Amino acid sequence: MSRARVEQQPAATGTTLVVMVGLSIAFLLFMGFLNVVKTGNLLTESNFLYAAFIFYAGAGALYLGFGVTGIDAYVRFASLATWAGLAATTGAVAHRWYVAGHPPFANIYEMLLSFVWTLVVLTLIAEKKFGVKVIGTVTMPVAIVGVVLMQLLPSEVHPLVPALQSTWLHVHVTLAMLAYAACALSFALAMMFLIQDSMKTETFLAAVSLFGIGTYLGVLTRFEKWGGLNVVAWNPQEKSEMFLAKGVRLFVVIPDLGWLMVLVLLAVAAPLALYAIWRKTGNDQMIAIANRAVFVSILLQALALVFFLLRARDGQYPSLDADGLFPTSLAASPFILSGIVGGIFVSLLYLLLLWRRADLERMLPSADALDRITYKTIAIAFPLLTLMIAAGAYWANRTWGSYWSWDPKETWAAITWLVYAGYLHMRITRGWRGRRAAYFAILGFAVVMFTFFGVTYLLPGLHAYA
Amino acid sequence: MATGLGKTWRQLWQTMSSIKTGVILLILTVIFSAAGTVVLQRPTADADDIQRAYSPQMLRILDFLGLTDVFHSWWFVLLLVLVSLSIIAASIDRFSNSWRYFARPYKSPDDSFRRTLAQQAQIPVDDEASALAATEKIFRKAHFHPEHVVRNQRQSIFGERNRMSEMAVYIVHASLLLIFLGGIVDALYGWRGYMALERGQQSNSIELRDKSNRALPFSVRCDSAGQENYQDGTPKKWWSNLTVVDDGREVLKKQIVVNDPLVYHGVRFYQSSYGSTGKVDTLQLTATPLAGDGKPQDIDLAMNAPVTLDPDTTVRMTEFIPDYVVRDGQVYTRSAQVDNPAAHLVMQTKGKTINVWLPPIPGFAENDQSPYKFEGKDVQMAYFTGLEVSHEPGQWAVWSGVVLMAIGLAAVFYLVHIRLWAVVVRDAQGRLVLWIGGTSNKNRDVFEQKFAELVKQIQAELTAQPKPPVDLPVASMVGD
Repeated sequence: MSRARVEQQPAATGTTLVVMVGLSIAFLLFMGFLNVVKTGNLLTESNFLYAAFIFYAGAGALYLGFGVTGIDAYVRFASLATWAGLAATTGAVAHRWYVAGHPPFANIYEMLLSFVWTLVVLTLIAEKKFGVKVIGTVTMPVAIVGVVLMQLLPSEVHPLVPALQSTWLHVHVTLAMLAYAACALSFALAMMFLIQDSMKTETFLAAVSLFGIGTYLGVLTRFEKWGGLNVVAWNPQEKSEMFLAKGVRLFVVIPDLGWLMVLVLLAVAAPLALYAIWRKTGNDQMIAIANRAVFVSILLQALALVFFLLRARDGQYPSLDADGLFPTSLAASPFILSGIVGGIFVSLLYLLLLWRRADLERMLPSADALDRITYKTIAIAFPLLTLMIAAGAYWANRTWGSYWSWDPKETWAAITWLVYAGYLHMRITRGWRGRRAAYFAILGFAVVMFTFFGVTYLLPGLHAYA
Repeated sequence: MATGLGKTWRQLWQTMSSIKTGVILLILTVIFSAAGTVVLQRPTADADDIQRAYSPQMLRILDFLGLTDVFHSWWFVLLLVLVSLSIIAASIDRFSNSWRYFARPYKSPDDSFRRTLAQQAQIPVDDEASALAATEKIFRKAHFHPEHVVRNQRQSIFGERNRMSEMAVYIVHASLLLIFLGGIVDALYGWRGYMALERGQQSNSIELRDKSNRALPFSVRCDSAGQENYQDGTPKKWWSNLTVVDDGREVLKKQIVVNDPLVYHGVRFYQSSYGSTGKVDTLQLTATPLAGDGKPQDIDLAMNAPVTLDPDTTVRMTEFIPDYVVRDGQVYTRSAQVDNPAAHLVMQTKGKTINVWLPPIPGFAENDQSPYKFEGKDVQMAYFTGLEVSHEPGQWAVWSGVVLMAIGLAAVFYLVHIRLWAVVVRDAQGRLVLWIGGTSNKNRDVFEQKFAELVKQIQAELTAQPKPPVDLPVASMVGD
């Protein structure tokens, strides 16, 4: 049995992967050690976050190790790493709370911190209480991307402006974080359900490829002639983006990076094309090639990440709109970075599924149970969403004298609410179970993510360049 | 003819009450609201920004479609009305069924019901009365409020919990309608505006969003206002002391801060901003007579308020420029910052008018003719407090809707309606058994465990009971 499993996947590449991941974690630990030695201060927020990052990445790597070796102990250790990561995140939250003198809800950085904390708590609850052991394979990457984003977003402690000094705001944001984390969990559970519901691995392949295409098409909206990539210029003194005029950001062009992104787009799109051919001809050879293409695309995505990190970090580049060289920074393009990191994780998860599907199925609760747990999670998330919107409206009413003014954030919160209301109606009155319900739960989480990040970052951007 | 109309009406009703219509309407609402967040909206966005963002043709099309003001366009309102109608129709359509279920619970299980019930168990028993008594006891202990039912000479026990849960969904729908109602009332009868008051100023005029003015039947006076800062200079707190003057009487006084408004007759006054008007409140000067041995005196000058210096002389301030500059023989205001102030004083002395500038400005000042020498000591600028004023008569419907919805949702998701039946029958082999069946409207997996637990308890209760002395089958039993 175990012999058959070993033959099922390419052993050599597996070892390479484990060694690579191990080395990168050792590197991260070493860098963290250097940082502690340099500042001489162990218990700072950034160290806590760094530790959290290492532990979450470690958990992710252990899941990957499970994927490569098929040894269950990896999953147990991944769970331990998650606990350690939670301890570190709790430290960061407590430190922040102590320094700022208010709960960490005041800006998007602090909210992200609360979100990651809640998500990890819920992950552990799902693991221990509901026995969904490998739920972390989906939630850990989300947590990692969250921590990476936190490193980039402005994190200074600002005193609260008068409008934010309200208990209702804290109620509102607490509810929002709880609700959003519950939505994230329902998303992960829906994914697990799809695995247990014996959705074809090939379908996951197509979905992973689509996600990658979406990510890189998004990145390539910044493609500039001669193969450059536009990124926002960054003012290191002010720690803010540079603007040409009010609402118009100044872009600089990183040469050649655009070509690399085009190459990666082709690599991530290849599996989808092969999948389409397979659907048409039924030639299984195509899927075998597509799986290899995923492997190649991971390497290329990693390459894109490395080049993006090297070039977008503290470089000086020309701009098409103004003379001279302007600096840029990773902080200026957090969403390109998290898109690339997210793409890599999603592809790695596909490999995990491809190699270890039988083990995953063995370790997960039955499809029926997962379907029920997903519904229960949404049954928790939905009232929380409702109360979150209500608390926000009440706060707005006390502050500005209007409980509803159709601003984009409010509208998207309402849209999220409507999507989940739709889910509940289809489930309760139409008896939607299983796959359709799972798709709905996934859609719901996509809308949540858009409400959380998209509205803050994309909608004003859209206005500035329309 | 009447039947044709009835048919159309029925079809319309069916369409309105179907869940499909509801979902389509919801999807449309989602799409149009999303469009309203992507396209710049007239009421909130800057007119210049809109001009810059879209080409003129594009803007004409967007304006024509109402996409630049989605949330106030007639079709969006129509959409929301249709959603409400759909909720009402769907609720009414399903209500009668639920109500029957709610008002006339099924208490006495018949044979076909017993055959099809998913959750059931049988315990062999000796006699009917003691079996039912034991069941009743256990049901009562587990808070199922058991009832001894006799129907067609057959005895049974019926127990249930949280029947309310079946109606909860209507509470949620009703609460949503209540919120909509509040929103509609506010859209029709509510208004919002702005009012800026300087210290001591009293006003009843509010500038509405469309730049028109609205007069209140009472006025508001600002007695004082101020700002507190954090150490880094960002504002920490704004406050204003307001007095409501109705019919010439002071009826209400309150200090408002951000997040804590003043409410009078349904009109709310919110602290929204605070700032300098660029005008002077008082200018403090020291006036020293140049002739004689008069002592220097400190005077406070407000704008255009004459102050007497001696029986022959008065002085008043006619102009104050916070940051002045002289160019081409004219005095100009450069900014509203009190960096480089100049004041124009007019003196009346012995029938003569003398213009005095502080500091002296050549060509304007007749300072050398002045019998007094003025020295500036301090200047207090006038600040205004910015008040958002709103009247939202529908908000109480909204808040009660929200509370109702919270209750309703809690009941929908967390109140489980559990029903239990118990009856003594003969099984296929002709043995006397206690048949127990149950059902729950959600959380079936949890209920399964609960049910098994109950059956075990009843079994334990039965074995604990003293056996009846004679082990005779009950003749009156109706077996199956």
